[in-house]
Amino acid sequence: MPRITRVFIKTGMIYFLASLAVGVIIEINSISLPVLYPLFWHMLMLGWITQIIFGVSLWMFPGRTREEGFRAQMKGWITYILLNLGVVLRIIAEPMLSYSNQPVWQILIIASTLLQMGAAIAYVIEMWPRIQSKKQRRKNRKKKW
Amino acid sequence: MPTPSRWMIRCSFIYLLIGFLMGGLLLIGKAFPSYYFQWFLLPVHIEVVLFGWIIQFTLGTAYWILPRFLEGPPRGDIIWGKLMVLSLNLGIFLTVLSYLRLLPNFGTLIGRIFETASVALFIYLHWNRIVTYRN
Repeated sequence: MPRITRVFIKTGMIYFLASLAVGVIIEINSISLPVLYPLFWHMLMLGWITQIIFGVSLWMFPGRTREEGFRAQMKGWITYILLNLGVVLRIIAEPMLSYSNQPVWQILIIASTLLQMGAAIAYVIEMWPRIQSKKQRRKNRKKKW
Repeated sequence: MPTPSRWMIRCSFIYLLIGFLMGGLLLIGKAFPSYYFQWFLLPVHIEVVLFGWIIQFTLGTAYWILPRFLEGPPRGDIIWGKLMVLSLNLGIFLTVLSYLRLLPNFGTLIGRIFETASVALFIYLHWNRIVTYRN
């Protein structure tokens, strides 16, 4: 399993646990806050499910490079960095919007949106050419040789 | 990778981009409540991300990766596979149009029926592929 996949999966597991902890807090009336609902869902769907899909597909889908390192797997690493920066900024800024009018939270939200969007674009750019039939793969291999 | 899988995975990538874009608009709307006109996108965002991205990607990958039949067509009749793709995407499309009020309310019902048909086809195609060939 390549390093990038291991990093994606382990980060995903941390989000999984954290999202369920938030889910527990939501159920405790004395400390539950409405701002926690979107956080719970996005930590689960983005932090865990999307992250694990990204990580495993980068490994399992045909056409991956076996070389390790940032340069060799640049689009995958960019996906990882942008997605996680985006999610972390969101976790910080989204609840704060309800308690503060400071423009810094709005700026962080815009940054988070752009980072998450960037992650999706980087992932699709990496994966789109790797969705190939056997015939196409054989052709591409012949071209390489 | 077989044709239905390639179709499903590529469609799921398109839905991923659309879903993230909608999510971004909703999030920015939260930061600027006076411009928060995108609220109607919330059910569409959920539909696109859940059915269009996550479920479609999972079904497409399963069709490709689960054990194949040893005799006959390796993944069953491919026509059923293509129908599964068509049915799921038609279902999502109709549901989204209905959420956007471009179709009457019963559009959601018809959309869900197509989605259900697609999942039924998925189960029909894969039930006998959940096997081990080790013994």
